[in-house]
Amino acid sequence: MSNIKRSVSFYSLQDQYARGKMNLEDIFKFLKEIGAEMEFISDQMMKGSPHPSEESLKEWDRLMSEYKVKPVCNDIFINTCLYKNRTLTTKESTDALIEEIKLANRLGFKLIRLVSKTPPEIIEPALPYAEKYDVTLAIEIHGGMSFDHPMTKAFIDVIQKTKSPYLGIVVDAGIFCRRHPRVATNYFRSLGVNEDVIKYIDDIFAQGTDPKQYFTKLGGRPKELLDLCKTELDHMYTIFADGYEVSDFSILDEHMPYLKHIHGKVYEMTDEGVEYSIPYDEFIKYLDKKGYVGYISTEYEGNRFTLDGAEVKELEQVKKHQEMLKKYIDELGR
Amino acid sequence: MFDNYVFSENTCKNVLNKKGEVNGFEIKTLITYYRGIPLSMVHDVKVEVDGVEVPRESIKFSPNGEDYFTLDEMETVTTYKWEYGQEATAFVEKEGGLSKGEHDVKLTTVIRVAYIPVPFEGTRTRKVVIE
Repeated sequence: MSNIKRSVSFYSLQDQYARGKMNLEDIFKFLKEIGAEMEFISDQMMKGSPHPSEESLKEWDRLMSEYKVKPVCNDIFINTCLYKNRTLTTKESTDALIEEIKLANRLGFKLIRLVSKTPPEIIEPALPYAEKYDVTLAIEIHGGMSFDHPMTKAFIDVIQKTKSPYLGIVVDAGIFCRRHPRVATNYFRSLGVNEDVIKYIDDIFAQGTDPKQYFTKLGGRPKELLDLCKTELDHMYTIFADGYEVSDFSILDEHMPYLKHIHGKVYEMTDEGVEYSIPYDEFIKYLDKKGYVGYISTEYEGNRFTLDGAEVKELEQVKKHQEMLKKYIDELGR
Repeated sequence: MFDNYVFSENTCKNVLNKKGEVNGFEIKTLITYYRGIPLSMVHDVKVEVDGVEVPRESIKFSPNGEDYFTLDEMETVTTYKWEYGQEATAFVEKEGGLSKGEHDVKLTTVIRVAYIPVPFEGTRTRKVVIE
């Protein structure tokens, strides 16, 4: 039987934090209020990560014991581009991952989200540390870098080869878009992207496919689209459109045994209480049918498309998304 | 995307050295990304005043307002992080600083991130009045 739970990624609240409107404690309080557990990004809100000061750790411990928000997942990054003149070696990247595993353990996390394109060759050498520290490593399956990406494939090969329970995937719901996010369209429109390019991309979605699949089939962006692109910005719009994928939920069927976590991507919660691009009602029914046990973590990305000078409405958007998740999960009657 | 975070408002001002002379100007900025990174991943910093780019060698960058690095030095600085939510300072060495009156000052920061194939930048121009 499924057991679908709710968490919020602190990614959603980054603007509040960056602008000093909310500190870590305020964010813990907010989560407590809305009854959601926590997905953290240590590089974002814990200074000095992966080696934070004793003082920072003490404050973390205090917040954890006071608010009792469950630490579900820590999102980490391997800085393979640390130097301008070379890429980190496998050993250096592995060592960096080991430090992240130790930090996750110290903070109380049992799951690490590795960003897409994390070098797959560092996973096996780090696996003994994942076991020792009881921290599972899961690669993100994200729009534009999902199941068909060679580095994602190579990572999944490692999962299938080792059959380790300490390895898995985090799926970003942005691979289940059904239309181009309207807030992204309007943001680029405000910067001056031409309407013909916008319509061309919308039409691809209207055919039930996405720009990545469509362009791949044609061997790249077709001439008719390139002719419509008059500016650098027009080109950028068509390239960013790759990040919104239109996959069927069944793409997850074979991966369910190692699906560890889900990023509940939010571009825009509408007044009707639904996400504009992603059909969460259908997604949650699918997960229930497949017996998913784990979290859906609200990841609000509409912050990126807030018009210049306008306020980011992340608190309202996160609340709306959580209310929607709760409603759909409750309707399952589990 | 991240342009909203570059070049904090009302932070561009002339700076005095220890002798009390104006030896340049500074700009404060948040990181144009959503997490902190080691300083070596700051790929480039560019400053333009009234349409003219200042020499790269005249820029010094500080993640904490205490320790300053030239852009060449910064390429190997991995133990200092530019933390998320913490304003860094871009200092431009220039005798006498910015002249009195109004200037268009443009700041661009460029960052390298492993999963994005090309370095990406945030940029903003502000009107600055020096009194």
